[in-house]
Amino acid sequence: MTLTFKTLLEITILWIVIYHILIFFEGTRAIQVLRGIIILLLAFFLFQKLNLEVLGWLLTKLFAISVIASLIIFHPEIRQGLARLGQRHRTGVNSRKQEFDYILTQTSKAVENLSKSKIGALIALEKNDPLTSYIETGAHINADVTADLIQTVFTPNSLLHDGGLVIQQGRIMAAGCLFPLTQNQDLSRIYGTRHRAALGLSEETDAVIIVVSEERQDISLVYESRLYKDLSREELFSKIKEIFKP
Amino acid sequence: MTKERPHISGKLKAWLKIHPWLKIIALLLAILVWFYVKGEIERFE
Repeated sequence: MTLTFKTLLEITILWIVIYHILIFFEGTRAIQVLRGIIILLLAFFLFQKLNLEVLGWLLTKLFAISVIASLIIFHPEIRQGLARLGQRHRTGVNSRKQEFDYILTQTSKAVENLSKSKIGALIALEKNDPLTSYIETGAHINADVTADLIQTVFTPNSLLHDGGLVIQQGRIMAAGCLFPLTQNQDLSRIYGTRHRAALGLSEETDAVIIVVSEERQDISLVYESRLYKDLSREELFSKIKEIFKP
Repeated sequence: MTKERPHISGKLKAWLKIHPWLKIIALLLAILVWFYVKGEIERFE
């Protein structure tokens, strides 16, 4: 078998496709199943090389079943992935910068209004570490970031106001999400569950988390396990911009 | 004022730094799948 340009091209295309499948599932519960399928695949190739017919036959059947099973179990993720394929990618540094500024303006405006109205809020902005596993604990929204929508989510007595809202890739992906609570015992007792959840999430990821206190009406920002208290709308805006600066 | 564009090797280094293990696993899988499918095609023919 000789390596031709066509062979290299085919392998490269396969590489890109497999890499994007892995990237897409990374951080979701589907990655564990995908890992299992990859191990089955590797074992299958090994058994074939060693001419172990019975084990090879068993694995072929198991592999076929696992592919069908994963199609059924993960149909929402697959649907979401196919929908993402059809979306137009926004390119260009300027348009991305403008989009990011718009998202920040809308978020800080909502946060200020919520604080003035004595309404608590917990908002996580994804940076590099994927927040997909936390999104799965809440209700999927997948909407543009607007101040009105953020305020609506946190309106008291609304079904989603209790958990955290996640902004991923410039979109409100989910609300009512559960974040891990910090185990830090040194945190002052004046901080409630929202602050503890924000610190907990920042201990596990590099997300930027905004907390609005219901009692004290103050706006805080949590990043890399650090709490920045009593921020104004402008301070919040510039602090987040500084964190996301490339 | 002109902005200096990063060199191709710099771009490649930056690209390799993002999910390096996933890239290696994906490449291994791509090679395995290609050889398996090629073998199957030849056997079928």
